[in-house]
Amino acid sequence: MLSLGPFSPGAWLIIASAVVSAVLLAMAKPPAKSEATMWTFARMHALMYEPLVADWNKHNSPKVEMLQLGLPAIERRMLASFFSGTPCADLMEVERRAVARAFAGPIESVGFVDLTDRLNRDGLLEKINGPSFSPWSSRGRVFGLPHDVHPVMLGYRADIVEAAGIDVAKIETWDDFERVMRPLQEMGGKGERFALSMWETHGDHLEVLILQAGGTLIDEQGAVTIDSEINRRVLVRVSDWCAGPDRIAMDAPNFTASGNQLKVAGKVICAFMPDWMGDVWKHEMPELAGKVKLMPLPAWEKGGRRTSVWGGTMLGIPKAAATSPERFEQLYAFASHLYLSQEVARELYRKGGIITPVKTFWNDPIYDQPDEYFCGQAPGRSYINLAGDVPLRSSSPFNARALDHITSALVRLCEERRSGALAQDAAKIETRAAELLKLAQAQMQSKAERNVFLSHAAEASAGHSAGVSEGGGR
Amino acid sequence: MSAAQPMHNRVRASLAPYGLLLPFAVLFGLFTLYPLARSLVLAFQQTFGPEATRYVGLANFAALLKDSLFWVAVRNTVLYTLGSVLIQLPLAMILALALQSKGVRGKSFFRMLLFAPATVGVAYAAIMFGVMFEKQTGLINQLLQSVTGRGLDFPWQQEHVLWMLILASLWMFTGFNMIFFSAALANVREELVEASTLDGASAWQRFVHVIVPEIRPVAGFVVLMSVIGSLQLFELPYLILNNSGGPDNRGLTIITYLYQNGFENGDLGYASAVGWMLATVLILIAAAQRVIAARRSVA
Repeated sequence: MLSLGPFSPGAWLIIASAVVSAVLLAMAKPPAKSEATMWTFARMHALMYEPLVADWNKHNSPKVEMLQLGLPAIERRMLASFFSGTPCADLMEVERRAVARAFAGPIESVGFVDLTDRLNRDGLLEKINGPSFSPWSSRGRVFGLPHDVHPVMLGYRADIVEAAGIDVAKIETWDDFERVMRPLQEMGGKGERFALSMWETHGDHLEVLILQAGGTLIDEQGAVTIDSEINRRVLVRVSDWCAGPDRIAMDAPNFTASGNQLKVAGKVICAFMPDWMGDVWKHEMPELAGKVKLMPLPAWEKGGRRTSVWGGTMLGIPKAAATSPERFEQLYAFASHLYLSQEVARELYRKGGIITPVKTFWNDPIYDQPDEYFCGQAPGRSYINLAGDVPLRSSSPFNARALDHITSALVRLCEERRSGALAQDAAKIETRAAELLKLAQAQMQSKAERNVFLSHAAEASAGHSAGVSEGGGR
Repeated sequence: MSAAQPMHNRVRASLAPYGLLLPFAVLFGLFTLYPLARSLVLAFQQTFGPEATRYVGLANFAALLKDSLFWVAVRNTVLYTLGSVLIQLPLAMILALALQSKGVRGKSFFRMLLFAPATVGVAYAAIMFGVMFEKQTGLINQLLQSVTGRGLDFPWQQEHVLWMLILASLWMFTGFNMIFFSAALANVREELVEASTLDGASAWQRFVHVIVPEIRPVAGFVVLMSVIGSLQLFELPYLILNNSGGPDNRGLTIITYLYQNGFENGDLGYASAVGWMLATVLILIAAAQRVIAARRSVA
């Protein structure tokens, strides 16, 4: 009988497999290392950039390899790299909330290269739409090139609205909106059709409305400003929409089959529509082509702001990648080629419906082209007309948490109204909203004050609270 | 053979166990003890990742005690644990007893059927329950609508997030715990059961006075593991609620809160403080269980 020595046949098999795989691994050729890598999280961006990157690689250095990763993957790798020096890309395209997390520490610990002086020198701070810099700025410094503006309009079912003889041009304020749209709800059957797609649990919707109204959650100095007169007004009004006796809102969430089904079925008439959302609708609800139109957001008061902002992306250069001034120049040259090129701006609009933040390209005729999906309207021009009025946003790392706190306040207010605890009494609702905002402010402030790296924010928050309590609201 | 040879063999024999333990000890030290010690140090620091750190003494723990969101997470986790232990374990025991009964046919099939959910993984269960509980078009909401007549978007899910989590965990783990109880019941001495039956004990008396004492060690283990597992709840709410605490933080658990602080906000110090608070509670529970078990065995 064949002797197998001290090991069993199974053990020999494992040893043999280990040896063979080790040899194969040693023989395998490592992939050629590119001169620079760029991460992006959106497939549409990757497809758009591909020809430009290929063209750049033909004539320039460094040769750039672009990789598409999921947003959570980029976010985790970005933070891991900033926190502990693990490898990351030389250029990173990152979404607004992920970037805010990089701003929680001391300013010198922000992992992206500070571009402020360079942008200033190149005149880009004037050339690019001002509000587009706000999510990428911390403590007065800019850490990324803005990709977009993302003004918000209201998308509405033109087929239903126009069949009912409603002229949306007469809608100037949210009061007008409620008055004009309410008959449409009744025509659709009680509880069967609602004027607006929004819900108390969707913080994104609430933020759009707060920013439009001129409110903030964290101000430019980093102070927590949840408890403000403007926010209270928005909170009460939204609770009217979701839980009042004359409710006009319905939960038809974006990116879900159920939400899309409700929109297609005409159960909901209007929805917040930032420029990027048009592309989402076209892909997810092609059957609505020729049935949807855009109108500016109704203002909170006559002559008020008719737009808001939702979402945002930037391109940043990690400090770890800019190993020398020459290397930084190379990477910056590529970044500005990609983000400041008119060709990309056109592609951005053509493929994603997104308008460029570069103001000098806004007179491009591409933005005047009619779009069949939107009944022949020119969405690009409509968004550009509103772009200059887009509100500033905070880049604070506390912003997401502050939004959670104020959303919780809204959820409670709505549920208390539904349960009858507030008896639809306007004064009681106002008082309760003020209490809930005060609570949310206190909770968020205690968190902000704990951060020893952002002590100026803590001081500013304390100042805001003192102002609120002394002045009885702002 | 030299005189030194037996001595050499004795030394080798006495060192051999340590040699065998060494690989484990190195890995345990590197991946368990060191992170544990490091997290204890971190709990006394404020951090922005591991590079930017400031010593803050007991400030993290003090802030935690005053942090209303932390207490919301504690309340949710305790309610979930109570829901899991008080509903899931009795249900698992009832199922085990039912399958133990003599008249039941196809015991193996039913055991496999009830155990099957434990094999599919939390991610699958989370996605399935997420779809079932979806607003408007979800199966549960459609069912409720037909029974209660409430509108399609009646927001009951947002008010009862915790129940959704408890139901999902019931589906996943009742069968799993039933297997433990079944194994324990199979080892109950038949003669004790027969003797108590001959003495005229009712089914309930037999269960309380004969079966429970017999399965107590296994039951104690199952309770302890369920409590620890429930207190460490993370994946289910993380996936169902899309890494948030859910509406008004009704699905926020202690570990989700730890994750949000440590890995989203970069405050590893605060997250470590949360972790050590939970670890302390778990150690106390485990110690209490040991003390109770030891007293019972002495009695």
